[in-house]
Amino acid sequence: MSPNPRPSPTRLERAVLAMHGRPGPGYLLLLALCGGLVAWGAYAFYLLFTQGLQLTGLGRPVGWGNLICNFVFWVGIAHCGTLISAILFLFRARFRTAVYRVAEMMTVFAVMTAGLFPVFHLGRPWLAYWLMPYPNQRGLWINFRSPLVWDVFAVSTYLTVSVVFLLVGAAPDAAALRDATTGLRRRLYALLAFGWRGTDEQWRHYTRAYLFLAGFATPLVVSVHSVVSWDFAVSLLPGWHSSLFPPYFVAGAILSGVAMVITILVPLRRAFHLEDIITPHHLDMLSRLVVLTSLIVGYAYLTEFGLALPQPASDPERATFLYRATGHYAPFFWTMVTCNCVLPLLLLARRVRRAAWALVAVCVLINVGMWLERWVIIVTSLSHDRLPFAWRTYAPRWPEWALTFGALGWFFLLFLVGLKVLPPISIAEMKEAQAHAAAPSGTGTLAVEVSHVA
Amino acid sequence: MSPDPGVLAAFAEPHDAARAIRALREGGFDDVRAAMPAPYPEVLAAVGKPRSFMAFASLPGAAVGVCAGLALTIGTSLAWQLVTGGKPVVSMPPFVVISFELAILAGAISTLGALVGAGAWGGRRREFPRDPRFAVAGVGVYAAGGDPERAAEILRACGAVEVDDVQ
Repeated sequence: MSPNPRPSPTRLERAVLAMHGRPGPGYLLLLALCGGLVAWGAYAFYLLFTQGLQLTGLGRPVGWGNLICNFVFWVGIAHCGTLISAILFLFRARFRTAVYRVAEMMTVFAVMTAGLFPVFHLGRPWLAYWLMPYPNQRGLWINFRSPLVWDVFAVSTYLTVSVVFLLVGAAPDAAALRDATTGLRRRLYALLAFGWRGTDEQWRHYTRAYLFLAGFATPLVVSVHSVVSWDFAVSLLPGWHSSLFPPYFVAGAILSGVAMVITILVPLRRAFHLEDIITPHHLDMLSRLVVLTSLIVGYAYLTEFGLALPQPASDPERATFLYRATGHYAPFFWTMVTCNCVLPLLLLARRVRRAAWALVAVCVLINVGMWLERWVIIVTSLSHDRLPFAWRTYAPRWPEWALTFGALGWFFLLFLVGLKVLPPISIAEMKEAQAHAAAPSGTGTLAVEVSHVA
Repeated sequence: MSPDPGVLAAFAEPHDAARAIRALREGGFDDVRAAMPAPYPEVLAAVGKPRSFMAFASLPGAAVGVCAGLALTIGTSLAWQLVTGGKPVVSMPPFVVISFELAILAGAISTLGALVGAGAWGGRRREFPRDPRFAVAGVGVYAAGGDPERAAEILRACGAVEVDDVQ
């Protein structure tokens, strides 16, 4: 597959500056839409704050519902950024250069979204600080043997490391933009550039530091969703208590994350005319990742059923899985299977991978399927426990939906604002790739375009 | 702070710049510096500086994180001895999770601190003439000290687009 013609070095700066320019009506409309969703979610949170969790559909035995589904979903979305920026960096996958900054921004904003839901779910959110270990006059400490405390440490570490990784990666690009702008924007870029001047001394340390940060982020990304899966797996509930959960959750997280990256990239490249920077080759490679992780997820689904169904009829694990496939929530289950295992197979066809809007449609449906996967795992297991007299179906009420869609608006609101502040393309890495792709005869694209010598 | 006097050259291609840096060093110019918009490995290799000391910041940072995690979990569990599910008060498997996360956190933060510190310190020690074009395209090579005419000759011979004296 031949990539599009290479953009010139200044084209990259111009593209980013154009994205950071005066917002158009489409941008403002999206911003208003997201703001409206956030306001709706904020109103629902106000009601939960003042009246408590009685406003939700939660009750015995279904104590975890939409809000926890959203937490797991957004942590999953957050995984792709680190996969693309850190893991593919360590594997020297060159296609990542054009897309990883968007994925990193997505990671940070998705973690900021995920972190809201445990607080919403607390019932008494003003006591959220009790989750952190701090000296207090009662001499009490948090219980480090609880996976919910592991979550606090894993997610807050993930947020911090993702922010560090994003800002370190963006510093050379911010320096390039700093030197090409004036006024307030110059000051903003100067702040993000951390005094970057691009000297060999700085690059020498930078390349090494970036490698170490990627080395730290790679096991972190695996650990975070493993920890999230342990929220379920260390319990004794049928459908949750499985050693399969960590790899299953990590693969699912990458599937949903990559699908979200494609969902964002396709409209972005169209809106800002980035077709020569984010090429069909990049989308093609991301699509292959979707297919790979979809196959892993499909294998995990089959394994779960393959382990449960041969058990005797009295086995609660078997009953739970049969309930998933044939009970009240069976439409959700089969939609999940279709979206996560069947639809991604369409991407095996090159024609679908190259048709940008078909790709987006598949990816949006994958994320619907991944959200339903969390629903199926969490709600079916709780609603159909070992004791038949306690069985109960759960239906979310409007405040839970308001928080769900409010979070969607919050995520895209952050992303839209981030697009105007951070360079969404890695200018430095793109230039390095261009320089090495150019002919060594010295007639490549790297013309020195500024004649003035300071 | 102004840089040492020398000769500044602009190159369009990184491999030309790398060739010039090697030629300068072979010609007796010990202090050769470069600036570029991307981490061109051939240029960094030609400058010939030793490997960055970042590992000496990252790894101790991670080790401090491990120790802090173990101290926090074991110390607080012993301070408030709550038996949960019949498990030992000091349960190492769950505590390893916390220690691991804190190791990553401390390692990343110490790496960031070292990077910012090294960039600022290195920038002062080996000042490069301020020239905004090298943040955008091309590679700047600066030969500090030595015979400026000889340096300019080598730089031109290696394909410099522009050569200037910096006083």
